[in-house]
Amino acid sequence: MGETIEDIESRLLDLARLQPEGISNKDLKQQLPDVPLTDLTGVINKFLKNGTLELFRTKEDLFYKFKDPSKKTAAKGSDNEEKVVYKIIEEAGNKGIWIRDIRFKSNLNMTQLNKVLKSLETKKIIKAVKSVSASKKKVYMLYDLEPDSTVTGGAWYQDQDFESEFVDVLCQQSHRFLVQRLEDATKQGGGPLIIQKRSYATATEVQKYISDLGISKVALSITDIESILYTVVLDNNAERTVASNGKFMYKAISRFLPPPGLVKTSCGICVIEDKCASTGSVNPNICPYITDWLNDS
Amino acid sequence: MSVTFGKVISLILTERFGPIVSSVGSFLFKSQSSPLLFITRGVDLPLSNIKASLCVLIKYGLVTFKPNKNEKLANYHLESEKVLLMLRYPKYQNLAKIQFGDESAMIIEEILQRGYWTASQLILKVHERLSTNNVNPPTLTHIKDKLVYLITSKYLERLPSPDITKAVPSLIIQENELHVLPKIDIKNLVAYQENNSVTLPDANIYWTVNFDRFHQDMRDHIIVNAFENKFDAQAGEIIKLFLRQMYVRTEPWADVSNPIPSIEIKDILKRQSHQTHALAFFDQYMSIIEQDNSRLLRKVGEASGGSYQIYLKEAFTQFAWELVEQTVLAKYNSKAARIFRLVKEKPYIEPDRIQQLAMIPAKDAKKLSYQLYEENFLHIQELRKTSSNNGPTKNFTLFHIQLENVVRMLLELCYKVQFNHITRRNYERELNKRIIDKKQRVDTILMGMRAQGATEEQLADIEEMITPPEKEVLENIEKMMKQLSLVELEIDDTIFMLKMFIVYN
Ligand code: SF4
Repeated sequence: MGETIEDIESRLLDLARLQPEGISNKDLKQQLPDVPLTDLTGVINKFLKNGTLELFRTKEDLFYKFKDPSKKTAAKGSDNEEKVVYKIIEEAGNKGIWIRDIRFKSNLNMTQLNKVLKSLETKKIIKAVKSVSASKKKVYMLYDLEPDSTVTGGAWYQDQDFESEFVDVLCQQSHRFLVQRLEDATKQGGGPLIIQKRSYATATEVQKYISDLGISKVALSITDIESILYTVVLDNNAERTVASNGKFMYKAISRFLPPPGLVKTSCGICVIEDKCASTGSVNPNICPYITDWLNDS
Repeated sequence: MSVTFGKVISLILTERFGPIVSSVGSFLFKSQSSPLLFITRGVDLPLSNIKASLCVLIKYGLVTFKPNKNEKLANYHLESEKVLLMLRYPKYQNLAKIQFGDESAMIIEEILQRGYWTASQLILKVHERLSTNNVNPPTLTHIKDKLVYLITSKYLERLPSPDITKAVPSLIIQENELHVLPKIDIKNLVAYQENNSVTLPDANIYWTVNFDRFHQDMRDHIIVNAFENKFDAQAGEIIKLFLRQMYVRTEPWADVSNPIPSIEIKDILKRQSHQTHALAFFDQYMSIIEQDNSRLLRKVGEASGGSYQIYLKEAFTQFAWELVEQTVLAKYNSKAARIFRLVKEKPYIEPDRIQQLAMIPAKDAKKLSYQLYEENFLHIQELRKTSSNNGPTKNFTLFHIQLENVVRMLLELCYKVQFNHITRRNYERELNKRIIDKKQRVDTILMGMRAQGATEEQLADIEEMITPPEKEVLENIEKMMKQLSLVELEIDDTIFMLKMFIVYN
């Protein structure tokens, strides 16, 4: 016949699903006459072990009951409240759900809800994941789900902590790459238009440069690099244009203006300027910031 | 008009004209416009002093007057913006010097010092100044030509003359007389040089500085420099020519210039032998400037190589943005500047998005955004939204920027900084008054002795009256004063830039 173990497994599961109240040993033998007994026991044992089937015993016979794998552990030893909460959390998927929202949906009070969540957590049915969007916000999701990147923050997060320095280094390096490219193009010459064309770079090129540098432990996707490059644009160090193929192109740029006179003095960038007046304890006559500035420059 | 602005005005007036004039000026600043009677009540000074002060201020164009309703009395008004311009006087001189040479700079200087003067007197004075210690002084004719040029190109304008038939004279001048050359006979000037009693024919025709014309130059310099910074020197040169050609067919302060054919620029470049690079790559330069994100030069017609319009108002809007960004960068840090630019790019952005797009840790992003908000660089729009199922009301906070508000705030800050610096300068001077006075006395003695032909030894003896520690103090003060005046000019640049934005908007 050449029936594989997988075929037997699926046939068995189909039967079990059809009889949610349970299927007996006898029924099985009748329904699957062509399956060798040894194979059948093997499959049943496997399903019992991984929890797909549950074993029931009445006076005269043994029954196997099918259990939906996604709901497998919830029912076990849990009361109604747990079931309700479990369902809510399950619906939230891998984005998780915030405790306040669970409370609104379940209509449980805070003490009850905390108890239920604790119990589900200790049973390793659900888990709490710190969300990056707000530092103290936790979201709940089923235990074996991989949290969505909006929750973990993607490549920039290590244990829910934003890796600020890592991002800064990447920004600097990406900017350096663009500046280098501009300088090379300028050196090559050939007129402003050609220089401009040569100084453009795509995210793919920057991605390659970064990975060659070996500064990143994780592989950075093109989307990651695009967001890094966007910060370089925001810093007014690069500009972004759309190429004819719809892709973004980046190029190092210079500003129109040098730093304004205003910021060259201590008063122009003073943070207590609003507390400073001609009379009073903070005043320009004795101000140490002005003194330092006069001595420094 | 803010209180800070008033304080700066008062300091400047004190510095130039002394405390009496300053108190009259300050009173007028506060009262906006007032007749003599009110001034005598508001200022605790004898009538004669007040009258004299008003005369001085009117002479320099810092106070104007208008008849009141019954035409019998004059209301005086302080032109406070013009008082502030006094800080810019060195710049006007310098601009004249760079563009037209020493004689022109001196003409401007002499007028600024007096408020106004006649053409003949100006020529004679500048000639006299340039003749001392100079074996080869410029001729009177040469100086006259310089003066005539300043008048025809509108750097100088004629002062209106009073119509004295009314109780309160009004100052009138015909538009076509503003820049008409006076008749000046060199022979007459030479005669006057020998004998002061010779009458000069233009004794009643006075000239004064037209600041607006200088501001136009300053504006153009900013644009040219900006293009040099952003692109390169050749691009700067090209835009300079565009600005020059712009005047042929456009009002100087128009928001957008009329179309300028690029072929004209090319022709000028052809005639300039040192601009070979700009000429060779002219079309390429035009296309990179035109396609730049800034879009300050836009093509309007294809005929004969294309015509272009310069977007002046837009230019100063972009410059104002940059200026504010740089201020945020210097005052806070690069993250704050990034947030500021993000909010500029995406107005009405939510705090969550800021942290995401700017790639700044949530806590820092929040802290910086609210700090920028508190200090008025960012503004907030609140949105209330009630979620459907009797949940709590949610408040959405959206960030945006009102550039004009920020510009006005920075302008205020500039005034404050000027005030602080002048105050500090006065204070340091007061603190070291004894030494400074001593130095002045010694210098006077030295000058007198030199005139009498004293020996080097005698002079050295007197010089030694200033001890080495005193010398050090003096050097320090001098350095400090220099630095403060230098920065005063730089702050004034910032003020000019911010004012340009406001003027165009
Ligand atoms: S005088 Fe000192 S305290 Fe006052 S604004 Fe300037 S730096 Fe700040």
